[in-house]
Amino acid sequence: MTRQIAILSGKGGAGKTSITASIIKMMGSVVAVDADVNASNLPILLPHVQQSTTAYYGMNIAQVDHDQCTGCGACLSACQFDAISQNEEGRILIDSDCEGCAACAFVCPENAINMAERKGGDWYVSSIDNGYLIHADLIPGEDNSGKLITKVRSEASTIAKEKDIAYIVIDGPPGTSCQAISSITGVDVVLAVVEESLSGLSDYRRLAELIEKFSIPHFVLLNKAGFSAEVEDKIVAAAAEFSGKIIGQIPFDQDIPRALQSLQSLADMDEYKKTITELLEQITSSLTKT
Amino acid sequence: MIISVVSGKGGAGKTTLAASIAQVFSAEFYDLDVDAPNAEYFLQPEFSKKVPVTQPVPVFSAELCDGCGICTKECRFHALYKILNTVYLTEPLCHGCGLCKMVCPQQAISYHDSTVGDIRSGYSQRTKNMVHIGDLIVGSTRGTYLISEMVKKIDADKLSVIDGPPGNSCAAVAAIKPADLVVLVVEPTPFGFHDMQQTEQIVQQMGKNYLIIANKAMRTADVDHYFQNRTKQAALTIALENRYHKANLQGEILSQQFSEIHAGLHQVINPELIRP
Repeated sequence: MTRQIAILSGKGGAGKTSITASIIKMMGSVVAVDADVNASNLPILLPHVQQSTTAYYGMNIAQVDHDQCTGCGACLSACQFDAISQNEEGRILIDSDCEGCAACAFVCPENAINMAERKGGDWYVSSIDNGYLIHADLIPGEDNSGKLITKVRSEASTIAKEKDIAYIVIDGPPGTSCQAISSITGVDVVLAVVEESLSGLSDYRRLAELIEKFSIPHFVLLNKAGFSAEVEDKIVAAAAEFSGKIIGQIPFDQDIPRALQSLQSLADMDEYKKTITELLEQITSSLTKT
Repeated sequence: MIISVVSGKGGAGKTTLAASIAQVFSAEFYDLDVDAPNAEYFLQPEFSKKVPVTQPVPVFSAELCDGCGICTKECRFHALYKILNTVYLTEPLCHGCGLCKMVCPQQAISYHDSTVGDIRSGYSQRTKNMVHIGDLIVGSTRGTYLISEMVKKIDADKLSVIDGPPGNSCAAVAAIKPADLVVLVVEPTPFGFHDMQQTEQIVQQMGKNYLIIANKAMRTADVDHYFQNRTKQAALTIALENRYHKANLQGEILSQQFSEIHAGLHQVINPELIRP
């Protein structure tokens, strides 16, 4: 049976992707997923060979057939998103605020509005040294619905099943909204990477609240630590409040971002290999117990 | 005059720089990173107002609904589902479009307002101006809607700073849209540059005036490497220094603590403010 581990943080830049890549490099067979589809960075850090590309279509968007349209304007008042306007010649225009609800198409007496497919990006299956990487690129500015995340995750599950791979590791998006939800539904455990800062603490609390709603167990990795015992204590207290076990700590060390410049991760740095190995052991042993 | 601070990558220093810019110019502040808002730790406003932001969502009349299920099939956002003969709403998915009400043959659907988040406002002694923080309900899909509702409240005649969301989706577009000047914060790393270039593409497509600030810069050679062969260079480069990091994590505003950052921001942004 495949086990799924998601790495999230709430706050951006807490170290999700570098930790994810480090963990993946220390694992046996694995399917890696980059669920941060609108700022996808895991492929930069994981050497991979792209095997396939598939187009992704997001919400269908309203499109006006100007031969049918009489310019009656019924659609204007139906649209709740101010996405439809009429120019001086009476021509109906749909702008980029269209959310694809189809209310305009429903009210149009001439059936002049169709809901048309719009490409939102691409998703890819790539091979990595110890398995597969499923990732995606959203077209900049497109609606970042959880749909694409759900797509890459279901592809990962299919591959894991086919190839009999025990673990799926998901590099999550920042934030605590729908993309975060799409990344954690159905996972076995979450690793929360918490930056030692007031912002990191605040975003961790929001993330922990979300994880709690889904009753998913979670671990905490304290990152960029060692500057403020006061902030650290607050994070420790918050983790206890949300039953998140702290299983590791990585200091603020300029050598880490320096290593990232040459696309090295913590798994490639002698002084942090042990931390990552222990982290991974704690996570995997918690999964085999249950 | 509205300045939007965005980066693509999270953790590049949006909030750090947005707070500093607001402090340098004593600007009104809007935290539009609504699903991970952090600006209040830096600006420390004395909150005096909390206004809910609502959107209409459907309510089903148990008497009129005959459970035909047409609404559940028509909803493009998969926000409605039917169990036995009762229709249920998954509220975080609802966009409030009104289609379900239009298609219902029994006129069993009405709309009422439901809260998607709050705007908390207060005066900051640090910036000598008002601060508005957007708080999306945890797990909601309506972040872009909350951002747009907050943007509507901005007075374009006053100087305002927007702290934008990370990423390059429609939420970032909504935070860039009202801007007269976009400040793109780039962390000069492979990740930071990758994500910033996508944001830059959006900014250019929207025809916005923008400048780039490189933050958390390490070796000069690395920074130069990223900016070579580019027409747009960094207007300002801020080094990755332990003392900045330490001040930042405790919620200090860098421009208030470090005169070189105050001077640097003033020098690059002031000319943009006095442009005709």
